[in-house]
Amino acid sequence: MSKKVITREEWEKRLNDVKIRKEDMNKLVMNFLVTEGYVEAAEKFRMESGTEPDIDLATITDRMAVKKAVQCGNVEDAIEKVNDLNPEILDTNPQLFFHLQQQRLIELIRNGKVEEALEFAQEELAPRGEENQTFLEELERTVALLAFEDVSNCPVGELLDISQRLKTASEVNAAILTSQSHEKDPKLPSLLKMLIWAQNQLDEKTTLLFERCQRSFCVKLRFVRHECLGVAPRPSPSCRSYGVIPGGCHGVAPRL
Amino acid sequence: MVNNQEQLGNILDLWQLGVGRGAEEEIVDMEDEEAVPTHLNTINSSGGFHVVSTDKLSVQYTSSNLHGHDVGVVQANCPAPAKRLVYYFEIFVKNAGQKGQIAIGFTNEHFKMRRQPGWEANSCGYHGDDGHLYRGQGKGEDFGPPFTSGDIVGGGINYASQQFFFTKNGELVGAINKEVKGDLFPTIAVHSQNEEVNVNFGQQPFVFDIEAYAAEERLKQQMTIEKKSLPLHVSHGIVRSYLLHYGYQDTLNSFDTASKSTIPPISVAQENGVSEQGDMYALSQRKVLRQLIRGGDIDSALVKLREWYPQLVQNDTSTICFLLHSQKFIELVRVGYLEDAVKYARAELSKFFEVTHLSYLLQDCLALLAYEEPLKSSVGYLLNVAQREVVADGVNVMVLSTDPSLKDSQNCLHSRLEKLLRQLTACCLERRLLNGNQGEAFNLHRVLHSTKRSKR
Repeated sequence: MSKKVITREEWEKRLNDVKIRKEDMNKLVMNFLVTEGYVEAAEKFRMESGTEPDIDLATITDRMAVKKAVQCGNVEDAIEKVNDLNPEILDTNPQLFFHLQQQRLIELIRNGKVEEALEFAQEELAPRGEENQTFLEELERTVALLAFEDVSNCPVGELLDISQRLKTASEVNAAILTSQSHEKDPKLPSLLKMLIWAQNQLDEKTTLLFERCQRSFCVKLRFVRHECLGVAPRPSPSCRSYGVIPGGCHGVAPRL
Repeated sequence: MVNNQEQLGNILDLWQLGVGRGAEEEIVDMEDEEAVPTHLNTINSSGGFHVVSTDKLSVQYTSSNLHGHDVGVVQANCPAPAKRLVYYFEIFVKNAGQKGQIAIGFTNEHFKMRRQPGWEANSCGYHGDDGHLYRGQGKGEDFGPPFTSGDIVGGGINYASQQFFFTKNGELVGAINKEVKGDLFPTIAVHSQNEEVNVNFGQQPFVFDIEAYAAEERLKQQMTIEKKSLPLHVSHGIVRSYLLHYGYQDTLNSFDTASKSTIPPISVAQENGVSEQGDMYALSQRKVLRQLIRGGDIDSALVKLREWYPQLVQNDTSTICFLLHSQKFIELVRVGYLEDAVKYARAELSKFFEVTHLSYLLQDCLALLAYEEPLKSSVGYLLNVAQREVVADGVNVMVLSTDPSLKDSQNCLHSRLEKLLRQLTACCLERRLLNGNQGEAFNLHRVLHSTKRSKR
């Protein structure tokens, strides 16, 4: 295969030739606000930019109440709210229901209610574990939390992390969106993933001219990077993956 | 001194993008426009062995075959378009004739027009008599069922997987790697007496659900893409910086209030502390100017600009002045004050005729006067609210460019979101180029409208 050299100038020119509509970017942002449940921001954005949301904003409020309940650790409350919204959501989604129950167990353990936690695990979760191997493993992992006095240092301590709540919350969020026949994920993250994917593919196909080609990409991506980091990093050999990959060049988790 | 021209070139581009606003879909598709086969080519035919109907959509074998070099082969009038995910066409076997030696496939421009598709190099064909697939040699391989009178058979190219695929009566028969490079013509062949075949290049609905096939293929690609992981909260940060960049301050405030509970304060602080400092610049001034322009109150916007950023409006033939004055003129036309509009044009706009790169836009504006119902005219786009947004964005960029801490004047032109989308588009185009210019390019507009399509 012939090797292709893309100079920085050439690449800059191509980037300049790309025309992105403001209207489309506005829609992309609106889609993010709506899907992630920023209802007030979506309303403000509608007024400030004239972009119409692709879903009735009123439906966001209920969804957000559920999400928020999980984020605050009120899982029982969340389960009730989901059932008020649409009982089919949990009925048809055993995995989601298990994860909510698991989160409930985590909250009990977090609050030091050991006895209650044990009872809940045995009565509510264990029967589900029997039906499903993955559930069982998850249950065992969660119960292991009880074995540590200092959970901050234990191997399963991440379950108590705020990110676990966020994970569960976003799973509920997605299920409600699906039940409202709206896409469960915002489009923006997929596009960013697509960027990483496309760059990786170019990476593979242009191996031998890598030095220069990669440089031109790297430079281009580094503008993104130095906006983020506030410094202009020198091109380094560890920049191999065009720099956007998490954990790339500089030991600091780089952001797009 | 700020270089108006450089900063606002992009805004003028956006203005021109606006010209097509009425016919948005077409504009988008134009980028990838390619000729699509519509009928059979009757000029390069194998001659004598077959007859193509007058509508050029069916072919019949009229002689009796004696050997392997009197096949009745017809190609489509042009090659299958390649800058897309899939191409597909179908045939209906009206009459399988004496031996049912009908074939469907793809051939290139150098194909010997008296041979079955698949028998020669750089061709591929699914044959009706034995159900075998032939690709580049006289010997076929097991592929699918044979087909005969009454069957509808389809042939397609999947550019994402680089495969040919064939269907029979609405069902997928199979797929095979496409080793042939370059343009390929949809091709059909008949080879025994009375064989007759009708071809459907899409003028009739296909029996095979090609939309579902394409959707599945897209989903496959999507699954691979979704496996990539992103740094935490990266989208959040990009949206936030977008709101900052364009000065959507109210939205930003709501967004920040709502994210307090979900986004760990550390990442927001980093966002504030490092990356967005520049964009925080003059946020409330930019918000006010945007609101005034969006409300159509150009006079007040000009007053504020003179007060806050006199250097921007000093030169009265600058692009920013043109944007504002032309918008003022448009607002006068909108409310029907045509005499005032004419006076305003004489006083404030006529001087821009001497600025080459603005004169044609000025002409568009003035053309509004020529129509009784300007909204319905070819320059009606100027009366859209979106045109106010163009002006507001232009003013926003100019205000950002006055930031004394700005090192590179180019840097404030685009939001991070726009830079990333440009990079994405350019990468996907380059990827397609490396792929022999085949397959689908990235198109933000299509991505945004895909939900609606799939619901239909």
